[in-house]
Amino acid sequence: MRRSVISQMQRSLSMDFTSLLPLQLPSRMETHLWYIRPDEVKCASLLKHYSQLLSPTEKDRVLQMRGDELKKNALLARTLVRTTIARYQTNNGVDPRSLMFKKNIYGKPEVDWKNYTNCNNPPLHFNISHTDSLNACGVTVHVRVGIDVENKERKIKHDVLAFAERFYSADEVKFLSTIPDPEVQRKEFIKLWTLKEAYVKALGKGFSAAPFNTFTIQSKAGTEGGYNLCKTSKMTVSSLEKTEKCYGEWRFALLELADSHYAAICTEDDQASGGAISIDIYTEESIYSVISSSHLSPSCRCTYEGDCPKNHPVRRR
Amino acid sequence: MASLSTTSLSFKAPSTRISQVLRKGSSFQSVAFGRFASSTSKTSLRLQISCAAKAETVQKVSDIVKEQLALTADTPLTAESKFTALGADSLDTVEIVMALEEKFNISVEESDAQNITTIQEAADLIEDLVQKKPAA
Repeated sequence: MRRSVISQMQRSLSMDFTSLLPLQLPSRMETHLWYIRPDEVKCASLLKHYSQLLSPTEKDRVLQMRGDELKKNALLARTLVRTTIARYQTNNGVDPRSLMFKKNIYGKPEVDWKNYTNCNNPPLHFNISHTDSLNACGVTVHVRVGIDVENKERKIKHDVLAFAERFYSADEVKFLSTIPDPEVQRKEFIKLWTLKEAYVKALGKGFSAAPFNTFTIQSKAGTEGGYNLCKTSKMTVSSLEKTEKCYGEWRFALLELADSHYAAICTEDDQASGGAISIDIYTEESIYSVISSSHLSPSCRCTYEGDCPKNHPVRRR
Repeated sequence: MASLSTTSLSFKAPSTRISQVLRKGSSFQSVAFGRFASSTSKTSLRLQISCAAKAETVQKVSDIVKEQLALTADTPLTAESKFTALGADSLDTVEIVMALEEKFNISVEESDAQNITTIQEAADLIEDLVQKKPAA
């Protein structure tokens, strides 16, 4: 099974959002990851246009952000979610303004399809993550997804090991403490952070359902970039979770995004095939490409035009 | 501090009312605590110190948040400021909690940490945990 993240670089479209280029849904085994870098969006009138896409609540939240940079970032995050999900609607262009969102009982955001009469609405799942320099949205069909992005250069103010001892599992602390180079150690800490966050967000039951020190994520031996989830004995298994297997039920991928960020993706494995499933991620030359949401930014640098063929590979360094 | 917890005046609840009282002015001899206001007993002195600690706690929390989020000095910051509105992501929030634990020598449960979304909430939780600590 291959996890693929589709890349698509396309020229900017007209400002008329009802003519957003439609997208093909990810297959059951795919995750699509969309991202936008706020510093690439400079046009004030474009930002104004985007703000018209947001619901009143979203607009309020954007205004609550302290400072123009944070406001812009929040605006772009919501724009990214709305336009991306709207583009997946197979029934001829859903207006991104008309999308409604709700939260599950644990607070995880979901699309609220109640206004749509089309019974063939795809069981689309999404998850968002933002840092100050990048907003990302992961999309799957049928299975739960969680994503987390962090700047690779992010400095941790505390001692990394002390931080890990406080929050991570014992095995993860052990792993981190064997790394001699502090810079490598910091990077591995951040990678683990994104993977663990992605898992908790995919689970969608709030952070208390999976405290960080109750599970371990470790590299799968013999694979390049595969990860395993192991639950420690400290975790209390509720009666609902008793039937869930501990291994192979969740899949992880870790990417380097835009040369500046780590992005972790966690999706449910409903195939339950267990065994030796490898996730093909190559850190140098990735077979995954990531969609840069240039449909949001007219001043895009790419030269690719039109729809990208599916699974279009892009070499990433 | 142990003697305070046995009086009818509890700082635990409702914390919002206490916050409102504190925010209204620098005088801590407000109506709610009126009966102790003019007393010079040891108890009232402790009460006044506890009230002062609340505003001081908020200030300390604000300083930690400012440092963690690398906010400029002129960023508008109030007790009601939400961490997310200041640009904190999940890693920032956890680092803030760790810094608060170190500063105040307390231990924050993960479930409590999740419920902290503003500076005031952090200060309230800290006060709560500090008070619960066994008297030295």
